[in-house]
Amino acid sequence: MNSLKIIMMIAWRNLWRNRRRTILTAGTVSLGLGLLLLFLGIGDGSHRQMIQGAVGMGSAHVAVQARGYQVRGGIELTLSASQVAQVSSWLQSRREELGVTHVLRRVFAPGLASSADGATGIRLIGLEPDPEKAASAFDEKLVQGKFLTSAEEYGAVIGEGVARKLELEPGEKFVVMAQEAGSAEIQSLLLRVAGIMRTGLEDFDQATILVPLPTAQRLLRLGDNVHQVALMLNQLDDSEEIARLGEEQLPPETETLSWLELMPELRDFIKIDDGASYVFNALFFLIIAFLVANTLLMSVLERRREFALLDALGFTPTRRFLLVILEASWIAVLSVAVGTVLGYAGHLYFYHKGLPLDIFYSSEVSAGGAVLDPILYSYLSWRRIAGAAIMVFALTFLLALLPAWRGAKGQDAHLLGQL
Amino acid sequence: MSNNEAESILRLEGVSRHYVQGDQEVSALEDVSFAAARGEFIAVAGPSGSGKTTLLNVCAGLDRPTSGRVWLGNRDLSELNRHQLARLRLEEVGFIFQAFNLIPVLSAEENAEFILLLRGVPDGERREKVGALLKEVGLEGMEHRRPGQLSGGQQQRVAVARAIAAEPKLVLADEPTANLDTDTAFSLLNLMERLNREHGTTFLFSTHDPRVMQRAHRIIHLLDGRIESDQRAAVRQM
Repeated sequence: MNSLKIIMMIAWRNLWRNRRRTILTAGTVSLGLGLLLLFLGIGDGSHRQMIQGAVGMGSAHVAVQARGYQVRGGIELTLSASQVAQVSSWLQSRREELGVTHVLRRVFAPGLASSADGATGIRLIGLEPDPEKAASAFDEKLVQGKFLTSAEEYGAVIGEGVARKLELEPGEKFVVMAQEAGSAEIQSLLLRVAGIMRTGLEDFDQATILVPLPTAQRLLRLGDNVHQVALMLNQLDDSEEIARLGEEQLPPETETLSWLELMPELRDFIKIDDGASYVFNALFFLIIAFLVANTLLMSVLERRREFALLDALGFTPTRRFLLVILEASWIAVLSVAVGTVLGYAGHLYFYHKGLPLDIFYSSEVSAGGAVLDPILYSYLSWRRIAGAAIMVFALTFLLALLPAWRGAKGQDAHLLGQL
Repeated sequence: MSNNEAESILRLEGVSRHYVQGDQEVSALEDVSFAAARGEFIAVAGPSGSGKTTLLNVCAGLDRPTSGRVWLGNRDLSELNRHQLARLRLEEVGFIFQAFNLIPVLSAEENAEFILLLRGVPDGERREKVGALLKEVGLEGMEHRRPGQLSGGQQQRVAVARAIAAEPKLVLADEPTANLDTDTAFSLLNLMERLNREHGTTFLFSTHDPRVMQRAHRIIHLLDGRIESDQRAAVRQM
């Protein structure tokens, strides 16, 4: 214990023999860690914005559907009223515990919309106007007119692209046709444009029509059945766990999916973006690593006589190895402390103020089926901070191995006589 | 094994040490054999380049002989690895260098107690012992000074305190007085002699200073890496 104490003490004091070099080395690593945390925060923040944006555009954090609906998407694959009731009772006792903020019933169907000026293929979404207004972002995307209400049974909110193709304005009428569930019959319905929305998602705006849930159920002859019970959560990170619980505890004819399965394109985009970010960060740290490795090695080589002295005094190779590792570890401790403060401070700034990228792109840019917000807000989890800190420790340890081996090697007794 | 060999604390048999410099092989030691008994006060004399430092390094296991064998106590150094050699030095050998060689980041007290710390001697015992030793070498009140704040003589006293604090069987000193003024050099020699007399510590020190040689009880003369003579002198009465 005593010897470890003195090795730690010597290691610490050795750092401050060349104060400028230590500050520069620790400063470089701190800055690197700070920037890494900043990049991770902004990257994760932008991903979360994209996910939340997509969830607000008709998707969900977690969704319960008839098993197979996600893959096949058949109109007839519905949840019956009793299955919906089962989902409600499953949630009832634990809604607060699971952090479920909204439960939304939805119906989806492909169809054809036509007006006096033309026709276009559409995707019809039947939803509950009031809960959806509170939980989704459709309402905020209206550029003309107003959102759906339960009272307006035949009102519809249409995408800007649909409006353009059919030359529709709020208040004008158009017809929607769709195949009814379980038969080849085509049903049609006359609707009136309540509002026009622009989400920034080209495909979505070109084809989406929102109608009240009962209207869609009537058109598709679904009765009380729905295609999806969407759950909105307080915490995005809980999605997978809640989906897992649903899979375990809800009837086997249903499937409970997290946003990762509901939006595979977005999930894959985030994976690719994360991968590119990891490669960039790794290259960035590799450059820093070379600088630190050089500094550590130099600091050992210029103390060859001192290591020879320690050897002569009975300081075993293991202890000399440990001494260099501890010197590097002290640098890592300092760097992680300062770097975390720097990174967290940067995160806090961009968490509150955001990083404006609107000079590079407008809000209409989308990727992976989600709109990229032109102002990116940082999101930094403790898991990310811990991961980055562990990486710095591990990297410093690896970088210290060669200098430590050199320090442990000794065999410089001839230097002891030199003044 | 003879009685003398059994009692010897250090024994060299046919030790040679050759270095390769460029294309040439340089002989630093050539067929050196001698034994040092417990409590001896031995000077290794000879001009610069005669092999004194190499001999001390070989005796401590800091350098390996090209041929021949070195025993420290009853342990053959050629059979020990670097780790075991370091442990052996920690347990049995004290070092004093011409260049003082204190650990610059430690205070005088911490330098002096360094070996005891590594040996795991408890705090109280260590402090008491080192305090007394620093007082004995005339460094009372300077315990917390770093080497840079001490004179050459004071640094060498700390080195002596470090070397003897753990009561090693053997103290190896490489030209310990070479960088000291005459008064400090003699005062250091007096101290070493007293420790030898009072603690029975064996000293083997190199020097080329005739005044220092006079103080030794035995002088081994080296020339070109070979023992030229090995003479015993009458023990000087203090």
